[in-house]
This record gives sequence, C-alpha cells and structure tokens, in this order.
Amino acid sequence: MTAFTVEGLIADIAARRVSSAEAVDACLARIERVDARLRAFITVDADGARHAAKERDAALAEGRAPGALHGVPLAWKDLCFLRGLPTSCGTRTPDYFVGDADCTAAARLIAAGAVTLGKLNMSELALGPFGDNAHHGHVQNPWRAGHCAGGSSSGSGAAVAAGLAVGALGTDTGGSIRLPAACCGIVGLKPTYGRVSRAGAMALSWSNDHVGPMTRTVRDAALLLHLMAGHDPGDATTSPRPAPDCLTGIERGVAGLRIGLPENYYFDGVDPEVAAAVRTAAERLGREGARVVELRVPDPQAMADVTGLVSRAESASIHARVVRERPHELQPAVRARLEVGFRVSAHDYLQALRLRARWAREFVQLVFGEVDVLLAPTIPEPAPSLAEVTGVPVAQVLAHMTRFSRLTRPFNGLGCPVLAVPCGLARHGLPLGLQIVGRPFDEPTVLRTGRAWERLVGGFPSPPEA
Amino acid sequence: MEARPDPALAADLAYLAGAIERWAADLALAEEPARFVAALESAAPPDAS
Repeated sequence: MTAFTVEGLIADIAARRVSSAEAVDACLARIERVDARLRAFITVDADGARHAAKERDAALAEGRAPGALHGVPLAWKDLCFLRGLPTSCGTRTPDYFVGDADCTAAARLIAAGAVTLGKLNMSELALGPFGDNAHHGHVQNPWRAGHCAGGSSSGSGAAVAAGLAVGALGTDTGGSIRLPAACCGIVGLKPTYGRVSRAGAMALSWSNDHVGPMTRTVRDAALLLHLMAGHDPGDATTSPRPAPDCLTGIERGVAGLRIGLPENYYFDGVDPEVAAAVRTAAERLGREGARVVELRVPDPQAMADVTGLVSRAESASIHARVVRERPHELQPAVRARLEVGFRVSAHDYLQALRLRARWAREFVQLVFGEVDVLLAPTIPEPAPSLAEVTGVPVAQVLAHMTRFSRLTRPFNGLGCPVLAVPCGLARHGLPLGLQIVGRPFDEPTVLRTGRAWERLVGGFPSPPEA
Repeated sequence: MEARPDPALAADLAYLAGAIERWAADLALAEEPARFVAALESAAPPDAS
C-alpha cells in the first residue's frame, strides 16, 4: 500500500481503486510504525492530511474535475513556508522562518491536488551534506541503520525511499537534493537555476539555491517539475519560460544521444565501486545507441571553490542574526561554516560572481557543444556511518563535508539541470548514485536519459524494509 | 561581528581570495554577475520551453 508512485496513485485514485484517504492513512500508518527510528519528519500533520484527503475524495465523488495530483500525499522539506505549520529549517526554533507567502513550489503542487503529510527533517539551516541533526534527530538511512541519509534534504530522501511519502520537495545549494537522493536510492532533480521559484523557501544562498522534486521514479520527477516550474513574480530570478512538458518524449530512449564522461576531476579519489558503477552505466547506455565520448571539462574545482565562496558570503548575510544573538543554539559545524562567511570581502564576493558568469558561459559552450548530457558520480563514497560524521572533531567533519559534496557543488555554480538517479548497490548494500547533467533548460533530455537508465535496470529498488 | 572562524576554514578562505585575484585578472570590464542568467537563457536548446 505504501509503495505508491505519484503516477500510479493518480491513476488509482482517478479509477476509484484507492481513495486519497486510504493513501494518506497508509502513509500515516507507516510514519507511525517506522519514523521514531528513521526521524524523517519534523512535523506530521495527520489531522490536516486526513481532512484534505476527505475533501479530495468528496470532490471526486461529486464529479468535480480532479487536479493533476488529486489526492496524492506529499511532504515538504522543513524550510518550505506554509501557513499553519511551523518552519524550523532544522533549527531548534519552531518558527525560524516565516515567509511573506506560502512556498510557491509547494503551493503549486497543493493547488494541483496534492495533500500535505507534514514537514521533513533536514540538516540545520540546510548546511550539511550528511543529514545529521542534533535538534530533531539524525535522519537514518533506510537502507542501513546507523548510516547517514545524505543532506541537507535528508528527511525528503529517507521519507520517499521508505515509502512514508509518495514524493517530496528538496532544495539544493551544493548538492542537497542529489546527495540524499543518492544515499537513499531515489530520484532527485536539481532543475536549471531560474526554472523553479525559490519564493517561500528559506534562502541559504540566493545565487545557488534550487528547489526540486524527490521521487521514486524518473517519470514522477518529470511530472512534479512540470507542475511546480514556471515564472513567479515572487522570485525575480525565475525564467519567463513556461513549465516544460518533460513526459511527452521521456520514453524515446537514448539512441543518437551524445553522452559525455569527464576525463578529469569527477573520478579522482572516488570509491572504486562508485566509479565502476558510473562507467558501467555509460557503457550500457552506449549499447542502447548513445554515443559515449570522454572529454575534459573546464576546471570543476575552481567552479566549486567560487560557488562555495558565494554561498558562504550569502549564508552569513542571511543568517547573521542567529549567529550574532544565539550562536549557542547552532551545531558547531553549522556555526563554523556561517562564521567564516563574515570574513569574505565584498571584492572577493563580486569577483566570484563575475567569474561564475564567465565560467558558466564557457562550460556550456565547450561541453554542450560536444555532448548532449554529461554523466558523473553523485557521491564519492556510499553513505558514511553517522558515527563518522558526528562523533569526530569539527575540523574533521568540515573536511569530510567538502569531500562529500565536491561532485555536486560545481553544478550549482553552473546552474545546469542535474538529475540524480540510483546506480546500483555497493557491496555492503548501500546505494550508489549517478548524475545526469544537461544544458540549461534542457530538463527533457536529462529526464529522458534518466528514464532510459531506469528502464535498463528494470526500475530502481526499494530498501529491504520498505 | 566578533566571529572567530574555524582556523582551517579561515585558511581556505585566505587561499581562495588569492586564487580569485589571479582568476579575475583578465576579466572583461563588461563581465557582470547578471550575465550568469543571460548565459543560461542563451544556452537553452532552441526548442526549449
């Protein structure tokens, strides 16, 4: 009952095989059963979800036209502001973030008929790639207890993988959708910068934040993107382009597509199992008719460095008040990352933004002049144990954080769309991850490639207990 | 602000400031932050919505 996909559940509800109330009850029952251990949710809105589901079912019974997501239970990272529910942003302050209006991306999905199950756990202030949280409990990896779920959208990754929600929203400033998607074995999409409104979602870095879907299938990610994307007057950085229809051509396969594998950076120092899994994926897609080419890409380390500097400066500005007034409330590694941002000079910040503009232009011309999509690992190692990322000195944690997000961060600076999909399992049973990177606003090709991979492997597996 | 940054992070930042100075040495006068969004829009496939 809880292994729903968004598309499957839409069809079941429309055909009256399942009611929205039954779907919501199934999710709530599973939350009740496993979430004390998993710690995926910060707030479960059981009454609100049941009430909304009844309304959706009544509307269907009365013959009113259903929305595109009619009755589908979803959950939101706890930095998406929604009136009536607290938005802690992973801090110990329940109402840390109060927006002017509801989070646009979530509100658009709700307007399409989605039902809110609650708000999901996350790294404190979205600052951390592991998903540990001293205030709300460390999110556990559904594949293996005691291992991290990836962050910062850790609750989103764990909840979707374990079947507590049919889909979720995450945000991604340096990898925070893709890292938990990879660690938890689900699909996560960081859209093109400007594709999805950031309005109503707590900012960590205006220049690098992206909002996107986290789902069990590639088709579900395509559907949610279509429903949440498009210009929003509440976010001046949103593109005027209409929301893309990524489902129409998604089954076309990869025949004739040019797929690039980076010769530099992305396989350096990566766990051999991770590297082998990504290379095997490229070979298998090649046998489906894609032309796989190896190419050098413009220095990703420099882009990661510049992106990191911009994020540090902006996050220190945004969250200065909590650092100044209540630093003791912040976890040590979070405080350390914010404090260093105060030392970034205006000169360096602006030069970094100018460099980013030039490098994004050069990257797109050089790379997407040669290939249609680029493949790369998402995580350099399978999800580490929570003991490795919590019980050690802060300096060690910070260094591990930098290593863990080094494959995802460059694409935040570049603004390109990136789909994270599962890519097999490591020897000890934890998921491995693959990034599929496309040219700006070419989510359809990225999703089409991801769907071809999903079909090739016969669908992505669920964790044993789910 | 009386923040005392982590020494390793502060060292990284100092290194990065030097690197940015070198990388930015030949930036064109016309290069401005807003050209990032322009770069994305102009790089979209012709048929992209």
